[in-house]
Amino acid sequence: MKSRKIWVWRGIVALFFIAAPAFGTVDEPPASVSIGSLSHLYSEVVFDHDLHLSVTDDCSVCHHHRFGKGVKEERCARCHSESQGTFSARCSDCHVEKPFSVEHIMMMEADPKRYHIDMTGLKGAYHLKCYNCHAAMGAPSECGDCHARSDAGDRFYHSGIYAPAGGSPTGKHE
Amino acid sequence: MSGISRRKFLKSTVIAGGSAAAAMTSAKSAFAMKEFQGYPDSMGVLVDLTRCIGCRTCEAACNKEHNLPEPALPFDNLSVFDETFHEGKQKRRTTDKAYTVVNRYAEQEPGGPVYRKIQCNHCSEPACLTSCFVNAYKKTKEGAVVYNPNVCVGCRMCMVACPFGIPAYSYDSALHPEIIKCNFCYDTRLKNGKPPACVEACPQEALTFGHRKTLVKTAHERIRSNPGKYVDHVYGETEVGGTSWMYLSSVPFEQVGFNTTLQHHPILDNTKSFLGIVPMVLGIWPAMFLGFHLLAKGGKTENKESNAGESCK
Repeated sequence: MKSRKIWVWRGIVALFFIAAPAFGTVDEPPASVSIGSLSHLYSEVVFDHDLHLSVTDDCSVCHHHRFGKGVKEERCARCHSESQGTFSARCSDCHVEKPFSVEHIMMMEADPKRYHIDMTGLKGAYHLKCYNCHAAMGAPSECGDCHARSDAGDRFYHSGIYAPAGGSPTGKHE
Repeated sequence: MSGISRRKFLKSTVIAGGSAAAAMTSAKSAFAMKEFQGYPDSMGVLVDLTRCIGCRTCEAACNKEHNLPEPALPFDNLSVFDETFHEGKQKRRTTDKAYTVVNRYAEQEPGGPVYRKIQCNHCSEPACLTSCFVNAYKKTKEGAVVYNPNVCVGCRMCMVACPFGIPAYSYDSALHPEIIKCNFCYDTRLKNGKPPACVEACPQEALTFGHRKTLVKTAHERIRSNPGKYVDHVYGETEVGGTSWMYLSSVPFEQVGFNTTLQHHPILDNTKSFLGIVPMVLGIWPAMFLGFHLLAKGGKTENKESNAGESCK
């Protein structure tokens, strides 16, 4: 009986040590992130987090009010200037993959007092954040600059080896 | 003509005219009561032009969804934005091979260029539907305006009636030509509760799918919470009585190819009250004029009789 109790305690202590690094590193930014949960027409994006840290010194430019120097957007600051950080830094924890599914539309409409009725889906959140900033900053903003197109993508766009006869073989910008 | 018969004649005319006018008024009020505000659970799409980057992914998605013919140029070829027709006056439009096209506008504007996707706007009270005399069109409760080629006789009245110039005709087909237009992916998606292919494909979420009622609120909320970003108007909220597809823009709508001179009530309203009276005219006028005729004739015989009586005296 006693020996079992000791083993339970040892187990709890071991669990603590195993889990501790995870708790400790929650606010340590990753050097790079692979974004590929939606990849189909394009391959996954290997997002160089370190590079983007060198571009801006404020995490809240991308992470809303999770980290950094408070809320950037004036519109959000009206309510969130004093509020705590969001519960997660991951886009996909709030922005859903299928924002236009029946379930999601019903969920958003269920609460008549809900303020955030106009939340973009995950794909929209990525592109509106990444592309719009890239375009504004003069950073690379062709589709292929961030993610290479897959064979399914070439077929979808009737481009590359699937280009119509007489069409532009490269399918590039003018 | 004697004094009595004229009085009689005038009296009956007033009565006949009055009753006809009363019938017309009651018909008008009856039609006013039937005013259609759109299906309550109609779905819609809000197109936010400030988000569109002109990638043409929606065009590619539409082509794939509906197994449309291979395009002349790849969908990632952006030189199509320079294509113009009718001596540069017209940009690309929907054709029998493309239910939707994106055009580029306001290149010189400070916030430009602005891209605008066009497709069927799926009016709440569609002019194409009301112009069709074989009932080939149907407005579904989900909001889609769908077309049945099996009953279409090819008169192309809908092409003339559409205030947005959307329906196209497959002139190439010698045996089975038909009207070609966006159907809101009704058969493949909408009726199963799924968003249209273009909406799902858009990387920028420039297209927001949802209940039309909610989208109207969302659109006004976007305008309200982003002061100065948008023109304070939701195109399609009231145009031609409201459309399922609506637009937000940062530049005046007329600069991005929208027709801003459209009326703000259904096109059908222009003829509805008149057409409602037509059957009544057909019903009342024969009886009324027959009455006039009989009265006039009756008066004459009476006159003759009285004249004869006088002469006898």
